[in-house]
Amino acid sequence: MSTILLNEISEKLQRGKAKDVAALVEQALAEGVAPEIILNDALVVGMNVIGDKFRENQVFVPEVLVAARAMNAGLKILKPALAGAGVEPLGTAVICTVKGDMHDIGKNLVKMMIEGQGIACIDLGVDVDAQVIVDTVKNNDVQLVCLSALLTTTMHGQKDVIDALKEAGLRDQVRVMVGGAPVTQAFADEIGADCYTLDAASAAREAVRLIREMRA
Amino acid sequence: MTNRERAMNILHFKPVDRMPAVHFGYWPELLQEWAAEGKIPQSLADSWYDGGEADAALDRLIGWDFNWYRTAGAYNNLLPTFEHKVLEVLPDGTQRVQSPSGMIERIRPGVTSIPSEDDYLLKDRAAFQTLYRPKMQFDPSRVNYEYFKHFNETRDPDVPIGLHLGSVLGDIRSMVSVVGMSYLLYDEDEDLFADVVDAYADMQYKCVEEILKTGAKFDFAHYWEDICFNSGPLLSPVIFDELCAKHYKKRNDLCHAYGIDIISLDCDGVTDKLLPTWFENGVNVMFPIEIGTWGDQFEAARQKYGKGMLGVGGMDKTVLRLDKAAVDRELERLTRLSALGGFIPCPDHRLMPGTKFELVQYYAEKIKEIKL
Repeated sequence: MSTILLNEISEKLQRGKAKDVAALVEQALAEGVAPEIILNDALVVGMNVIGDKFRENQVFVPEVLVAARAMNAGLKILKPALAGAGVEPLGTAVICTVKGDMHDIGKNLVKMMIEGQGIACIDLGVDVDAQVIVDTVKNNDVQLVCLSALLTTTMHGQKDVIDALKEAGLRDQVRVMVGGAPVTQAFADEIGADCYTLDAASAAREAVRLIREMRA
Repeated sequence: MTNRERAMNILHFKPVDRMPAVHFGYWPELLQEWAAEGKIPQSLADSWYDGGEADAALDRLIGWDFNWYRTAGAYNNLLPTFEHKVLEVLPDGTQRVQSPSGMIERIRPGVTSIPSEDDYLLKDRAAFQTLYRPKMQFDPSRVNYEYFKHFNETRDPDVPIGLHLGSVLGDIRSMVSVVGMSYLLYDEDEDLFADVVDAYADMQYKCVEEILKTGAKFDFAHYWEDICFNSGPLLSPVIFDELCAKHYKKRNDLCHAYGIDIISLDCDGVTDKLLPTWFENGVNVMFPIEIGTWGDQFEAARQKYGKGMLGVGGMDKTVLRLDKAAVDRELERLTRLSALGGFIPCPDHRLMPGTKFELVQYYAEKIKEIKL
């Protein structure tokens, strides 16, 4: 019975039906399904399907956004139960758009996809000073720093953050992932980032890999 | 030959004496940099806009022949626009602002980047009917009839000038944000987004029709869309086609009826999935062919779509921050692409801060040496 319900949650999530996902998560909890099962076997599974389809150009940004909205609707119901059951997130990522850049569509998309993998995100917003990121890493149990930039004029802010992490002696404590329209693998290599991905779905997959690597 | 003849001949695969030196304008910050360095008069930096007097003066100073984004058109956006007002100032100085399009944006004084999209007004059919539809009506005040009646006698005869066709989807995205567009496409009133697109397109068609009826003659027509990002289109190509194809066809058929057969479209990002809709419905020039997202794909796209696919752009503007050797390498690549025909090199977007004035002059001089 619970398998059918979990599949239904996943399918409704993939179709972006937020109200239905919330109602079905409530139903699953009421029927005694463990919250981590609902998270991992319904919500995360649904987001993974959407992520794979996004990477393969079978779905596009709107489908990801409505699926993520449905995921959040389900998570809102699920979070108290997860906390009550002592279920910890997979890890914690800090995410932001770097100094001088106010653009956040890509950053928000990556955040939604990463949260869809059960990773907690500390979203510092846009136009974020390198020192604020350093302080956040210092004061939290963070494994991953995700930096977005839209402009050729602001992408060098990603290097500033990596340099600031080095200067603070924190570079080895975290993995740094970069992305954004002007960013390339070559640029990521040049500035010493650990990871570059072209799209949000790949970013989420890599985030899981990097966090597991850090926690191993 | 005039530059107008050069451009139109290249885009019709006809011979020319040389390649024109074409550009797509500047970041305002770059012009301020150049003014501070004493390269250009401060007055030009302060008053520049596409196709304006300062643009022409800079063309002469640098050696450009013309700016491709030199267009004329109607006022084809929301009329009247929403009041531009600050709704809230947050403790860190960030302002929540209602933009003229009705989008709620976050801006930070001193930061010139594209704003953060925060919220939007067009959330349901009631908002469309009461707030937006009245602003999407055609009104004669949208067209400067007097200007277009005398356009043929008063226009610059040396450079190509385009008729601005507006935007089928890009403007609407600017009204509701990427997130809003996504939600509107999938929320309960499934027809709402299509109704918004149709209402806006009908007004823009009427604007184009009114201008063409004045007898004004244009060398090309031009759309602005910006509906793609670095991974592809911002919506499904199938949905894009369903929503937009008929409007491109109708507007482009009208242009063809008035003798305009060059129709260019400005879209940044990875555009390949949307090219079929554009090409099948009358658009034939891609602009500005950003290197960051197109890479070396222009040649492959030409092979795929044939001579019905033309291009203006594709020049890696970042070499203009480096040195002459980098510019020379780019010129070699552009010479090869130009030999395909139907392609006019142009920096692949606005020239950005850090661009060296002397290198731009060097490029503008050297690009003219390409013979076709």
